[in-house]
Amino acid sequence: MNSAVKTKEKAPMTKPVKQKKRKAKSLDRMKARSGWFFVAPFVLIFFLIYVPIIIDSITYSFHTIYPLSSGGFTLDYVGWENYSDALFVDPAFVSTLTSGVQQLVLEVPAIVVFSLFMAVLLNQKMVGRTLFRAILFIPVILSTGLIDDIDMNNRFNEYSEGGMSEADGGGGPGESVSNGAANGIISAVDLQGLFATMKIGTGLVDYVVGIVNDVYNLVNRSGVQMLIFLSGLQSISPAIYESCTIDGATAWETFWKITFPMISPMILVNAIYTVIDSFTAGSNQVMNYIANVYESSTVQNSNVLATAMYWIYFSIVLLLIGGVAALMSTYVFYQRRD
Amino acid sequence: MNADVKPEKKIRFGKKKEFDVEFEDRTPFWERVKTKYLSLYFLKNVVWALFRYVLLIGISYVILYPFIAKVAGSFMSKEDFLDVTVKLIPKYPTLDTYLAIITENRYFEAFWNTLVISLLCAVVQMVITMCVGYGFAKFKFKGNTILFFCVIFTMVVPHQALRLALFQKFRYFDFFGLIDMITGDSLNLINTYWPLALLSFGGLAFKNGLYIFIMRQFFRGVPDELEEAAYVDGSGVFKTFIRIIVPLSVPMLITIFIFAFSWQWTDDFYTTVFFTRTSTYLMPNIVTVPASLGATGFEAASVYSSAIVNTAALMIILPLVIMYCFCQKYIVQGIERSGIVG
Repeated sequence: MNSAVKTKEKAPMTKPVKQKKRKAKSLDRMKARSGWFFVAPFVLIFFLIYVPIIIDSITYSFHTIYPLSSGGFTLDYVGWENYSDALFVDPAFVSTLTSGVQQLVLEVPAIVVFSLFMAVLLNQKMVGRTLFRAILFIPVILSTGLIDDIDMNNRFNEYSEGGMSEADGGGGPGESVSNGAANGIISAVDLQGLFATMKIGTGLVDYVVGIVNDVYNLVNRSGVQMLIFLSGLQSISPAIYESCTIDGATAWETFWKITFPMISPMILVNAIYTVIDSFTAGSNQVMNYIANVYESSTVQNSNVLATAMYWIYFSIVLLLIGGVAALMSTYVFYQRRD
Repeated sequence: MNADVKPEKKIRFGKKKEFDVEFEDRTPFWERVKTKYLSLYFLKNVVWALFRYVLLIGISYVILYPFIAKVAGSFMSKEDFLDVTVKLIPKYPTLDTYLAIITENRYFEAFWNTLVISLLCAVVQMVITMCVGYGFAKFKFKGNTILFFCVIFTMVVPHQALRLALFQKFRYFDFFGLIDMITGDSLNLINTYWPLALLSFGGLAFKNGLYIFIMRQFFRGVPDELEEAAYVDGSGVFKTFIRIIVPLSVPMLITIFIFAFSWQWTDDFYTTVFFTRTSTYLMPNIVTVPASLGATGFEAASVYSSAIVNTAALMIILPLVIMYCFCQKYIVQGIERSGIVG
């Protein structure tokens, strides 16, 4: 490739210029070579280990796998059988998948809007800002992986919110769950009453009520997004705000005319990050379901079946990400930098 | 005359003191108070500040409450769970839960093993993602964009989908049949540190794509002139990297280290794939109910056992909490400086 570029440039140039160019080129090439050196670890392991793993994973999903007594394993090609099993034979996969994707679509805007709001709030000057920031970023570090899994099947939080008598009185899990919901941040009935007078569709009301009652989950999952928004807000030049204030814009106008367009690339990044983050999280209901299939001993060849399910889910989410990116990138405003 | 004196006083006493000093020719005190505090503008600010604090305190409460509840539950004894009046403060406080987890669930063994793995992974990942991020940000070699697309790709692929393949790969580890040719059999790397070390070394372990992305954005914000000045002074690419770039990016590195360490610490995917319980005892293994506490066969048994599991969770995150207290400012600062914009 390099030689091809060189010959192209050689033709129209006179001799002395060409020599200068060649020197510059060699420095560039030297730099490029060190660039390769810097990314070498990633490239090596990516092509030697990671790509084979992905190929293996896809191949396994088209096979059944038989462990051998000698310690190895054999593969038996079955075509699309695993995929058709997942989609048509497994009783609950499709319904879990649709509800999971639906939930994902509903949650992503909520998380993005919430984290943007909190980032704007945390960016303002006030007493105790550092403390609030520290508290709000706790979930980034602490509510991940293992702790998330522990929290997920946890009756203790409900119990201490709902009081002991119900939990003690032999109430089943159903009762304790409804009890926890009734003790949510805002009573759902109040909120519905508030919205009912506004003549808004019940679907929207249910959505808002659902989000408010799920605020713990929402806060827990918007930590990194808040950080990204905060960094975006910090990078907006104060001079723009200053000139806006001088022109007499209110805070509300400034937000919609300055902050929002300037932060819009971050909104795109965050929307995609949120989709990725919530669909790969272990607490995701679809992931959870597939993990159960993977570990179950009753289903024949559960490992490869689960792998096929993962790939189905992944391709759907990939489509979703593509859709989000295509839709939002038309609205994103990029500031031209000179 | 007073105009000359006033600025000095302002500087010396600050704003608040100004009111204490009486100036006869100024507007009367009450007048000033009225114009300052009885205006619509001030009212608006107060309302907004109140709203803000209520909201922030509320959300802080939502975040902190589960931890408070867990701490409270960890000191409760069996009797507390049978007592209807006990809610958050235990009547019969006890340390039995902690002791049982330490002795029966072998807390310190798990702690030590996890510490070794997390430190190893965090340090390797920190160094590698810094190098890779620097390579992507500052060098325009052929294939830069495509390779960076590969990094994004590793972020998107769910690691759960690779679970079977990951296990098989490292259970029967081989490079194109090379090892098989030499030793006659493939290597079994399960229950060793090698799988995690190899993945970390390639910047392909848990969430490493995100770290590479963050580092790349950070280095793109570092002006090229800095390096050019070093090159003009006769420093090579690597010397420049070590002498100029690395010291510059220390806050970023601390951020990456905290992320890598704490996410590896609480990880229960890779550790369960690569390690079996019997060989290497890790943090996910201590999340069980110790038999000696007798959390079965009474009415509140399920609540009691989940309180015990929560205590285990508390003990798992304890080192992270301590680290977070000291390092949290680096997370915010590091991300802010990186300017993950565009």
